[in-house]
Amino acid sequence: MAPLNMPQISELKDLMEDAFADLIDTYLSDSEDKITRLRAAIDSGDAPLCVELAHALKGASANICAEALAGLFKALEDQARSGNLSPMSGAFSELSDEFQRVKEALLGLL
Amino acid sequence: MVDVPLNILIADDNKSDRLILAAIVKKMGHRVCVAEDGVQAVAQYLSEKPDIILLDVMMPNMNGQEAALQIKSSAGEDMVPIIFLTSLQDATDLAKCLDSGGDDFLTKPYNKIILQAKINAFSRMSKMHNTLQQQRDLISEHNDHMVHEQEVARAVYDNVTHSGCLNLPNIRYMLSPFSVFNGDVLLAARKPSGSMHILLGDFTGHGLPAAIGAMPLAEIFYGMTAKGFLMDAILREINSKLKKILPIGYFCCVCMVNLSFRKQQIEMWMGGLPDFYLLRHDSGQVEQIASTHLPLGVLSSQSFDTQTQRFSLRREDRLFMWSDGIIESRNDEGELFGETRLMDIFQRNQDQQQVFDDIVHEVNKFTGDSGKDDDTTLLEVKMVPEADVGEVDIDMSSGMITGPTDWNMRYTLRGETLKTFNALPMMLGILSDVPALHGLSGQLYTLMSELFSNAFEHGVLGLSSDLKKDAHGFAEYYAQREQALKAMADGWVMFDIDHRPTSGGGLLTLIVTDSGDGFDFAAKQVKPLGGEGYSGRGIPLITSICDSLEYLGAGNIVKVTLSWQTKGLEE
Repeated sequence: MAPLNMPQISELKDLMEDAFADLIDTYLSDSEDKITRLRAAIDSGDAPLCVELAHALKGASANICAEALAGLFKALEDQARSGNLSPMSGAFSELSDEFQRVKEALLGLL
Repeated sequence: MVDVPLNILIADDNKSDRLILAAIVKKMGHRVCVAEDGVQAVAQYLSEKPDIILLDVMMPNMNGQEAALQIKSSAGEDMVPIIFLTSLQDATDLAKCLDSGGDDFLTKPYNKIILQAKINAFSRMSKMHNTLQQQRDLISEHNDHMVHEQEVARAVYDNVTHSGCLNLPNIRYMLSPFSVFNGDVLLAARKPSGSMHILLGDFTGHGLPAAIGAMPLAEIFYGMTAKGFLMDAILREINSKLKKILPIGYFCCVCMVNLSFRKQQIEMWMGGLPDFYLLRHDSGQVEQIASTHLPLGVLSSQSFDTQTQRFSLRREDRLFMWSDGIIESRNDEGELFGETRLMDIFQRNQDQQQVFDDIVHEVNKFTGDSGKDDDTTLLEVKMVPEADVGEVDIDMSSGMITGPTDWNMRYTLRGETLKTFNALPMMLGILSDVPALHGLSGQLYTLMSELFSNAFEHGVLGLSSDLKKDAHGFAEYYAQREQALKAMADGWVMFDIDHRPTSGGGLLTLIVTDSGDGFDFAAKQVKPLGGEGYSGRGIPLITSICDSLEYLGAGNIVKVTLSWQTKGLEE
């Protein structure tokens, strides 16, 4: 599955015009920061914080047309909501890989 | 682009989401303000007054639902559409958003076309809401204005159609208007002579349109009664006024009563009203009195007829008068109260003092909660000794010393005018312009009418007052009077009226001269003025009112003087 929904992202690019680069930049730095905090929250077993961060990342990723990534964050959010954080470390590496793919794809659009 | 740009608040903690939303909204041509959490969203709402709010559900500090609650509560009745931004998919979660005060939601990823459609829809709704509010405020403002106007109008109306002397002890009445304004009118006023005029009127319809006609009616009634005009002249004037001002199909059913305490008699003119009942004190019998005329405001002056009905009333005899609202009041089944029920009350009654209360009670019991549909008026007038109703109460509020005090006039009545025209109200009107004399208008009326009838009947027509000593002579006297009237061609009576101010008061001098031969007043003055006989009544009455009375010339000139002092009058 492609990291980005291409028809949607090109529509978004048209919409944002000159601000598109700013959007990508904002999304990436914001998400990288949140992913770091999510990692720490998993390690410290802070489930509510995990839910909050995963939810925010899910929404932002969906808006940036990264459907697969949004799906991974949703799975993580659901998992965190159940309170059981133990299987999340494994899922997290998959998520980091997917985020890298999305990042490359987005930077490739600039 | 839109016609009128809206101010749209975007509250989302995620910066990239804000950027996308802001881009969409700006593209549509609207202005954007942003907030990063719930607390900021509430603050931005208060300072920026956005037209529409796009509110993320999950935000730090204060979540979207709490922010929505606070915004909606401070918005009051202003409409602020809130669209929740959410990536929630579950139907229950989405419904919760609406329950917490949201008007709609938009799911991530944002769809430009759907957001556009929603903003447009809410923009239309807001516009409609504002229009509705403005119109509601306008209507309420108009209503307040109208109520205020009605209150002022009511005050004016009440002043004009005041109840006169309805508070006298021989009168009981009940006025029960259907709305703010009463289409029934009840007026009573003492005449200068001490008698009483009563008028019950029922205008077509009810409420303000019906009440308006009562104002000129009351003006004429009170004005002319105070000036000493008789019933026929007053009715004629009211009729022609109402005929002039009321639209076709509108009129006033009226009964006017002239109640004379001295003659123990009522004289009635009745047009268009239901039968009235005269309850005889001694026998307990009820006599029905029917209308004999069309209502006022129907006929032209030419065809208007002032023919009255006369009834003698003994002490404690009672006349009951009502508007058709009594007979036509309805119960729950829509049945009319009717004349039979009304008559039953009189038939069953044991205590004549209770009849009035019985009628009110029975009518109220009959109508129950079914509510009124017309004005209802009920009046009871009782024949009592004049002493029970007291002196004629004249308004002295304008003060004593003002007004014309130094003047004289001459007024001569000749020929046909002398026979037919009642000049007394006019002359009394002139005298009444002197405020102190206004207070004496009752006595002045008596004085003037005695002087005039002496001059006219004994002077001009040459009738002998000796005839009026007994009932038989009285009839003879009037027969002769008829003849003399027909024969009279060029008689006249002249009034010279002079008023001068004196220190602290005034002096009125009246000289009445007639075209007759006069009489041997020197011989007449020797006679005792004891006044048991009919003919003796005039002169003692005059001398009791005046300071002096003297005959001059051949006895065809009489001069009376009347002085007044401010001090004495104010007591």
